[in-house]
Amino acid sequence: MPGPNELELSDEELCRRTAAKDVMAFEQLVERYQPRTYRLATSILSNEADGRDVSQEAFIRLYESAHRFDGRARFSTWFYRILVNLCIDHQRRNKWWKKNVPLGRSDDNPDQPAIDPASEAPGPENLMMGSDNARRLKQALTKLSPSQRAAVMMQLQDDLSSREVAEVLNCSETTARVHLHRGVVRLTKLLKED
Amino acid sequence: MRHPEDQLIPYLRGELDGALRTSIEGHLSECAACRAQSAALAETLTLIKSGIEQMPAPPWEPYRAELRRKLAARREQPRPQRWWRVNLVWGSLAAAGAAAVVLLALTLSRGPSGQESPIMDQIAMADTMSHTDVDLLRDYPVVEHLDLLENYDVIEHLDEVAPPQTNATTQS
Repeated sequence: MPGPNELELSDEELCRRTAAKDVMAFEQLVERYQPRTYRLATSILSNEADGRDVSQEAFIRLYESAHRFDGRARFSTWFYRILVNLCIDHQRRNKWWKKNVPLGRSDDNPDQPAIDPASEAPGPENLMMGSDNARRLKQALTKLSPSQRAAVMMQLQDDLSSREVAEVLNCSETTARVHLHRGVVRLTKLLKED
Repeated sequence: MRHPEDQLIPYLRGELDGALRTSIEGHLSECAACRAQSAALAETLTLIKSGIEQMPAPPWEPYRAELRRKLAARREQPRPQRWWRVNLVWGSLAAAGAAAVVLLALTLSRGPSGQESPIMDQIAMADTMSHTDVDLLRDYPVVEHLDLLENYDVIEHLDEVAPPQTNATTQS
Protein backbone atom coordinates (compact mmCIF):
# COMPACT_ATOMS: atom_id res chain seq x y z
CA MET A 1 0.00 0.00 0.00
CA PRO A 2 1.41 3.39 -0.91
CA GLY A 3 2.49 5.68 1.87
CA PRO A 4 1.07 9.19 2.36
CA ASN A 5 3.92 10.75 0.38
CA GLU A 6 3.21 8.42 -2.52
CA LEU A 7 -0.30 9.83 -2.76
CA GLU A 8 0.97 13.38 -3.06
CA LEU A 9 3.34 12.85 -5.95
CA SER A 10 2.96 15.43 -8.70
CA ASP A 11 1.53 14.47 -12.07
CA GLU A 12 4.91 15.12 -13.62
CA GLU A 13 6.67 12.75 -11.20
CA LEU A 14 4.06 10.06 -11.76
CA CYS A 15 4.57 10.45 -15.49
CA ARG A 16 8.33 10.04 -15.09
CA ARG A 17 7.72 6.85 -13.11
CA THR A 18 5.26 5.64 -15.72
CA ALA A 19 8.00 6.14 -18.30
CA ALA A 20 10.04 3.66 -16.26
CA LYS A 21 7.07 1.26 -16.51
CA ASP A 22 5.98 1.72 -12.91
CA VAL A 23 2.44 0.33 -13.13
CA MET A 24 1.42 1.73 -9.75
CA ALA A 25 2.34 5.25 -10.86
CA PHE A 26 0.39 4.74 -14.08
CA GLU A 27 -2.66 3.53 -12.14
CA GLN A 28 -2.47 6.61 -9.94
CA LEU A 29 -2.40 8.88 -12.97
CA VAL A 30 -5.40 7.05 -14.41
CA GLU A 31 -7.34 7.42 -11.16
CA ARG A 32 -6.45 11.09 -10.96
CA TYR A 33 -7.36 11.88 -14.53
CA GLN A 34 -10.12 9.42 -15.42
CA PRO A 35 -13.15 11.69 -14.71
CA ARG A 36 -11.64 14.73 -16.42
CA THR A 37 -10.34 12.78 -19.41
CA TYR A 38 -13.62 10.95 -19.85
CA ARG A 39 -15.68 14.15 -19.57
CA LEU A 40 -13.43 16.06 -21.96
CA ALA A 41 -13.48 13.31 -24.60
CA THR A 42 -17.23 12.80 -24.20
CA SER A 43 -17.82 16.53 -24.53
CA ILE A 44 -15.65 16.95 -27.62
CA LEU A 45 -17.10 13.90 -29.35
CA SER A 46 -20.66 14.36 -28.03
CA ASN A 47 -20.90 10.64 -27.53
CA GLU A 48 -20.41 8.59 -24.38
CA ALA A 49 -19.26 5.34 -25.98
CA ASP A 50 -16.75 7.12 -28.21
CA GLY A 51 -15.61 9.28 -25.30
CA ARG A 52 -15.00 6.16 -23.23
CA ASP A 53 -12.99 4.45 -25.98
CA VAL A 54 -10.95 7.50 -26.89
CA SER A 55 -10.19 8.39 -23.26
CA GLN A 56 -8.98 4.82 -22.64
CA GLU A 57 -6.88 5.00 -25.79
CA ALA A 58 -5.35 8.24 -24.46
CA PHE A 59 -4.28 6.40 -21.29
CA ILE A 60 -2.76 3.61 -23.36
CA ARG A 61 -0.82 6.20 -25.38
CA LEU A 62 0.27 7.79 -22.13
CA TYR A 63 1.66 4.46 -20.92
CA GLU A 64 3.44 3.88 -24.22
CA SER A 65 4.89 7.35 -24.66
CA ALA A 66 5.39 8.71 -21.13
CA HIS A 67 9.14 8.80 -21.87
CA ARG A 68 8.47 11.56 -24.39
CA PHE A 69 7.18 13.95 -21.72
CA ASP A 70 10.05 16.40 -21.30
CA GLY A 71 8.58 18.47 -18.46
CA ARG A 72 8.59 21.72 -20.41
CA ALA A 73 4.79 21.98 -20.17
CA ARG A 74 2.47 20.90 -17.37
CA PHE A 75 1.61 17.22 -17.53
CA SER A 76 -2.10 18.03 -18.05
CA THR A 77 -1.32 20.18 -21.10
CA TRP A 78 0.86 17.47 -22.63
CA PHE A 79 -1.66 14.72 -21.90
CA TYR A 80 -4.66 16.68 -23.19
CA ARG A 81 -2.76 17.29 -26.39
CA ILE A 82 -2.66 13.50 -26.86
CA LEU A 83 -6.36 13.26 -26.02
CA VAL A 84 -7.45 16.08 -28.33
CA ASN A 85 -5.39 14.66 -31.20
CA LEU A 86 -7.08 11.30 -30.68
CA CYS A 87 -10.48 13.01 -30.71
CA ILE A 88 -9.56 14.79 -33.96
CA ASP A 89 -8.44 11.48 -35.52
CA HIS A 90 -11.64 9.85 -34.34
CA GLN A 91 -13.78 12.63 -35.83
CA ARG A 92 -11.85 12.43 -39.10
CA ARG A 93 -12.37 8.67 -39.36
CA ASN A 94 -16.00 9.11 -38.41
CA LYS A 95 -16.46 11.72 -41.12
CA TRP A 96 -14.87 9.43 -43.68
CA TRP A 97 -17.08 6.58 -42.51
CA LYS A 98 -20.27 8.66 -42.62
CA LYS A 99 -19.32 10.04 -46.03
CA ASN A 100 -18.49 6.70 -47.59
CA VAL A 101 -20.94 4.44 -45.78
CA PRO A 102 -24.06 6.62 -45.51
CA LEU A 103 -26.21 4.43 -43.29
CA GLY A 104 -27.42 7.29 -41.12
CA ARG A 105 -30.13 9.85 -41.77
CA SER A 106 -30.24 11.34 -45.24
CA ASP A 107 -29.66 14.83 -43.82
CA ASP A 108 -26.49 13.84 -41.96
CA ASN A 109 -23.85 16.39 -42.75
CA PRO A 110 -20.39 15.21 -41.79
CA ASP A 111 -19.08 18.76 -41.99
CA GLN A 112 -21.49 19.96 -39.33
CA PRO A 113 -19.17 19.76 -36.34
CA ALA A 114 -21.43 20.17 -33.36
CA ILE A 115 -24.43 17.93 -33.15
CA ASP A 116 -24.10 14.20 -32.91
CA PRO A 117 -27.48 12.48 -32.44
CA ALA A 118 -25.82 9.66 -30.53
CA SER A 119 -25.46 11.98 -27.56
CA GLU A 120 -29.24 12.33 -27.25
CA ALA A 121 -29.73 8.69 -26.39
CA PRO A 122 -29.06 7.82 -22.78
CA GLY A 123 -26.04 5.55 -22.52
CA PRO A 124 -25.65 2.93 -19.81
CA GLU A 125 -23.65 5.46 -17.80
CA ASN A 126 -26.75 7.62 -17.51
CA LEU A 127 -28.14 5.07 -15.08
CA MET A 128 -26.12 7.14 -12.66
CA MET A 129 -28.08 10.32 -13.11
CA GLY A 130 -26.37 13.63 -12.72
CA SER A 131 -28.14 16.75 -11.55
CA ASP A 132 -30.59 18.68 -13.70
CA ASN A 133 -27.98 21.40 -14.07
CA ALA A 134 -25.50 18.86 -15.42
CA ARG A 135 -28.07 17.40 -17.82
CA ARG A 136 -28.88 20.84 -19.22
CA LEU A 137 -25.22 21.72 -19.54
CA LYS A 138 -24.45 18.47 -21.30
CA GLN A 139 -27.28 19.11 -23.73
CA ALA A 140 -26.18 22.70 -24.34
CA LEU A 141 -22.55 21.69 -24.92
CA THR A 142 -23.60 19.60 -27.93
CA LYS A 143 -24.65 22.82 -29.69
CA LEU A 144 -21.11 24.26 -29.53
CA SER A 145 -18.32 23.59 -31.99
CA PRO A 146 -15.78 20.93 -30.84
CA SER A 147 -13.12 23.62 -30.33
CA GLN A 148 -15.47 25.70 -28.19
CA ARG A 149 -16.40 22.63 -26.14
CA ALA A 150 -12.76 21.72 -25.66
CA ALA A 151 -11.84 25.28 -24.63
CA VAL A 152 -14.74 25.54 -22.16
CA MET A 153 -14.03 22.15 -20.60
CA MET A 154 -10.29 22.61 -20.29
CA GLN A 155 -10.58 26.08 -18.78
CA LEU A 156 -13.45 25.45 -16.42
CA GLN A 157 -12.87 21.82 -15.51
CA ASP A 158 -9.08 21.78 -15.41
CA ASP A 159 -8.33 25.44 -14.89
CA LEU A 160 -5.97 25.56 -17.86
CA SER A 161 -4.92 29.06 -18.89
CA SER A 162 -5.69 30.46 -22.35
CA ARG A 163 -2.06 29.89 -23.27
CA GLU A 164 -2.26 26.23 -22.25
CA VAL A 165 -5.55 25.75 -24.11
CA ALA A 166 -3.89 27.30 -27.17
CA GLU A 167 -1.03 24.83 -26.80
CA VAL A 168 -3.40 21.86 -26.63
CA LEU A 169 -5.54 23.05 -29.54
CA ASN A 170 -2.50 24.08 -31.55
CA CYS A 171 -3.76 27.61 -32.13
CA SER A 172 -2.89 31.13 -31.00
CA GLU A 173 -3.79 32.37 -27.54
CA THR A 174 -6.14 34.91 -29.12
CA THR A 175 -7.98 32.14 -30.98
CA ALA A 176 -8.25 30.11 -27.77
CA ARG A 177 -9.80 33.13 -26.02
CA VAL A 178 -12.26 33.60 -28.88
CA HIS A 179 -13.28 29.92 -28.65
CA LEU A 180 -13.88 30.28 -24.93
CA HIS A 181 -15.72 33.59 -25.21
CA ARG A 182 -18.04 32.39 -27.98
CA GLY A 183 -18.63 29.09 -26.20
CA VAL A 184 -19.58 30.73 -22.91
CA VAL A 185 -21.77 33.38 -24.59
CA ARG A 186 -23.62 30.63 -26.47
CA LEU A 187 -24.00 28.58 -23.30
CA THR A 188 -25.37 31.62 -21.46
CA LYS A 189 -28.05 31.93 -24.12
CA LEU A 190 -28.82 28.20 -24.29
CA LEU A 191 -29.02 27.74 -20.54
CA LYS A 192 -31.40 30.72 -20.27
CA GLU A 193 -33.64 29.36 -23.04
CA ASP A 194 -33.84 25.92 -21.47
CA MET B 1 -10.98 51.56 -26.02
CA ARG B 2 -13.32 49.27 -27.96
CA HIS B 3 -15.42 46.76 -25.99
CA PRO B 4 -12.93 44.14 -24.78
CA GLU B 5 -15.33 41.21 -25.20
CA ASP B 6 -12.75 38.42 -25.67
CA GLN B 7 -10.79 39.67 -22.68
CA LEU B 8 -13.66 39.57 -20.20
CA ILE B 9 -13.39 35.87 -19.31
CA PRO B 10 -9.58 35.96 -18.93
CA TYR B 11 -10.13 39.05 -16.76
CA LEU B 12 -12.73 37.28 -14.61
CA ARG B 13 -10.47 34.23 -14.30
CA GLY B 14 -7.58 36.40 -13.15
CA GLU B 15 -5.39 35.61 -16.16
CA LEU B 16 -4.60 39.21 -17.04
CA ASP B 17 -2.08 41.36 -15.33
CA GLY B 18 -0.36 44.70 -15.64
CA ALA B 19 -1.51 47.30 -18.13
CA LEU B 20 -4.16 45.10 -19.76
CA ARG B 21 -5.91 44.38 -16.47
CA THR B 22 -5.86 48.07 -15.56
CA SER B 23 -7.29 49.08 -18.92
CA ILE B 24 -10.12 46.49 -18.66
CA GLU B 25 -10.94 47.75 -15.16
CA GLY B 26 -10.98 51.30 -16.50
CA HIS B 27 -13.30 50.30 -19.34
CA LEU B 28 -15.67 48.41 -17.03
CA SER B 29 -15.97 51.41 -14.74
CA GLU B 30 -17.19 53.49 -17.69
CA CYS B 31 -19.14 51.00 -19.85
CA ALA B 32 -22.45 49.74 -18.45
CA ALA B 33 -22.94 47.25 -21.32
CA CYS B 34 -19.60 45.53 -20.64
CA ARG B 35 -20.30 45.55 -16.89
CA ALA B 36 -23.60 43.78 -17.54
CA GLN B 37 -21.96 41.30 -19.90
CA SER B 38 -19.18 40.66 -17.42
CA ALA B 39 -21.74 39.92 -14.67
CA ALA B 40 -23.69 37.57 -16.97
CA LEU B 41 -20.51 35.75 -17.98
CA ALA B 42 -19.43 35.38 -14.34
CA GLU B 43 -22.79 33.81 -13.52
CA THR B 44 -22.54 31.37 -16.45
CA LEU B 45 -18.98 30.42 -15.51
CA THR B 46 -20.18 29.44 -12.02
CA LEU B 47 -23.10 27.51 -13.49
CA ILE B 48 -20.85 25.66 -15.95
CA LYS B 49 -18.32 24.78 -13.24
CA SER B 50 -20.93 23.27 -10.97
CA GLY B 51 -22.59 21.53 -13.94
CA ILE B 52 -19.29 19.92 -14.97
CA GLU B 53 -18.70 18.67 -11.44
CA GLN B 54 -22.15 17.07 -11.36
CA MET B 55 -21.94 15.44 -14.78
CA PRO B 56 -22.78 11.73 -14.67
CA ALA B 57 -19.78 9.44 -14.75
CA PRO B 58 -19.43 5.74 -15.41
CA PRO B 59 -18.47 3.39 -12.55
CA TRP B 60 -14.69 3.67 -12.56
CA GLU B 61 -13.69 0.16 -11.52
CA PRO B 62 -15.12 -1.49 -14.70
CA TYR B 63 -13.65 1.40 -16.70
CA ARG B 64 -10.17 0.71 -15.34
CA ALA B 65 -10.60 -3.07 -15.70
CA GLU B 66 -11.45 -2.55 -19.38
CA LEU B 67 -8.46 -0.24 -19.77
CA ARG B 68 -6.15 -2.87 -18.23
CA ARG B 69 -7.46 -5.50 -20.65
CA LYS B 70 -6.93 -3.18 -23.62
CA LEU B 71 -3.42 -2.29 -22.47
CA ALA B 72 -2.50 -5.95 -21.95
CA ALA B 73 -3.82 -6.81 -25.41
CA ARG B 74 -1.80 -3.97 -26.93
CA ARG B 75 1.39 -5.13 -25.20
CA GLU B 76 0.93 -8.66 -26.53
CA GLN B 77 0.57 -7.46 -30.10
CA PRO B 78 3.80 -7.29 -32.07
CA ARG B 79 4.70 -3.70 -32.64
CA PRO B 80 3.69 -2.79 -36.19
CA GLN B 81 6.64 -1.67 -38.25
CA ARG B 82 6.32 1.95 -39.10
CA TRP B 83 5.74 2.60 -42.81
CA TRP B 84 8.55 5.11 -42.99
CA ARG B 85 11.02 2.61 -41.57
CA VAL B 86 10.06 0.05 -44.21
CA ASN B 87 10.30 2.71 -46.87
CA LEU B 88 13.63 3.88 -45.52
CA VAL B 89 15.18 0.42 -45.92
CA TRP B 90 13.79 -0.22 -49.39
CA GLY B 91 14.35 3.39 -50.39
CA SER B 92 18.01 3.22 -49.37
CA LEU B 93 18.54 -0.02 -51.27
CA ALA B 94 16.83 1.38 -54.35
CA ALA B 95 18.83 4.61 -54.15
CA ALA B 96 22.12 2.72 -53.77
CA GLY B 97 21.24 0.50 -56.74
CA ALA B 98 20.25 3.46 -58.88
CA ALA B 99 23.45 5.31 -57.95
CA ALA B 100 25.56 2.29 -58.93
CA VAL B 101 23.80 1.98 -62.30
CA VAL B 102 24.17 5.69 -63.06
CA LEU B 103 27.83 5.63 -62.07
CA LEU B 104 28.52 2.60 -64.24
CA ALA B 105 26.76 4.19 -67.19
CA LEU B 106 28.73 7.41 -66.73
CA THR B 107 32.02 5.54 -66.44
CA LEU B 108 31.39 3.55 -69.61
CA SER B 109 30.01 6.42 -71.66
CA ARG B 110 32.74 8.91 -70.77
CA GLY B 111 35.86 8.67 -72.81
CA PRO B 112 39.33 9.73 -71.74
CA SER B 113 38.46 13.34 -72.55
CA GLY B 114 35.68 13.51 -69.93
CA GLN B 115 34.78 17.05 -68.89
CA GLU B 116 34.30 16.47 -65.18
CA SER B 117 36.99 16.92 -62.61
CA PRO B 118 39.03 13.71 -62.16
CA ILE B 119 39.04 14.25 -58.41
CA MET B 120 35.25 14.31 -58.31
CA ASP B 121 35.24 11.22 -60.50
CA GLN B 122 37.54 9.47 -58.11
CA ILE B 123 35.50 10.40 -55.07
CA ALA B 124 32.31 9.21 -56.71
CA MET B 125 33.93 6.04 -57.95
CA ALA B 126 35.58 5.27 -54.63
CA ASP B 127 32.14 5.01 -53.04
CA THR B 128 31.17 2.08 -55.18
CA MET B 129 34.42 0.35 -56.04
CA SER B 130 35.72 -2.79 -54.46
CA HIS B 131 39.22 -2.79 -53.04
CA THR B 132 40.63 -4.48 -56.17
CA ASP B 133 39.31 -1.59 -58.26
CA VAL B 134 41.18 0.83 -56.05
CA ASP B 135 44.34 -0.33 -57.82
CA LEU B 136 42.99 1.43 -60.90
CA LEU B 137 42.95 4.69 -59.00
CA ARG B 138 46.52 4.17 -57.92
CA ASP B 139 47.42 3.78 -61.56
CA TYR B 140 45.21 6.66 -62.66
CA PRO B 141 48.03 8.51 -64.49
CA VAL B 142 48.30 5.43 -66.69
CA VAL B 143 44.58 4.77 -67.02
CA GLU B 144 43.71 8.29 -68.06
CA HIS B 145 45.88 7.89 -71.12
CA LEU B 146 44.18 4.70 -72.20
CA ASP B 147 41.17 4.23 -74.31
CA LEU B 148 39.36 1.80 -72.04
CA LEU B 149 37.31 0.16 -74.71
CA GLU B 150 40.16 -0.32 -77.16
CA ASN B 151 42.85 -1.24 -74.69
CA TYR B 152 40.89 -3.24 -72.18
CA ASP B 153 43.43 -6.05 -72.20
CA VAL B 154 46.12 -3.60 -71.09
CA ILE B 155 44.33 -3.00 -67.81
CA GLU B 156 44.99 -6.54 -66.75
CA HIS B 157 48.70 -5.87 -67.07
CA LEU B 158 48.90 -2.38 -65.68
CA ASP B 159 51.97 -3.24 -63.63
CA GLU B 160 53.84 -3.87 -66.82
CA VAL B 161 52.90 -0.55 -68.43
CA ALA B 162 55.29 2.28 -67.84
CA PRO B 163 53.76 5.54 -66.57
CA PRO B 164 53.42 8.24 -69.23
CA GLN B 165 56.42 10.47 -69.61
CA THR B 166 56.06 14.08 -68.66
CA ASN B 167 56.91 16.70 -71.34
CA ALA B 168 60.05 17.66 -69.48
CA THR B 169 61.28 14.08 -69.44
CA THR B 170 60.44 13.57 -73.14
CA GLN B 171 62.29 16.69 -74.12
CA SER B 172 65.35 15.72 -72.15
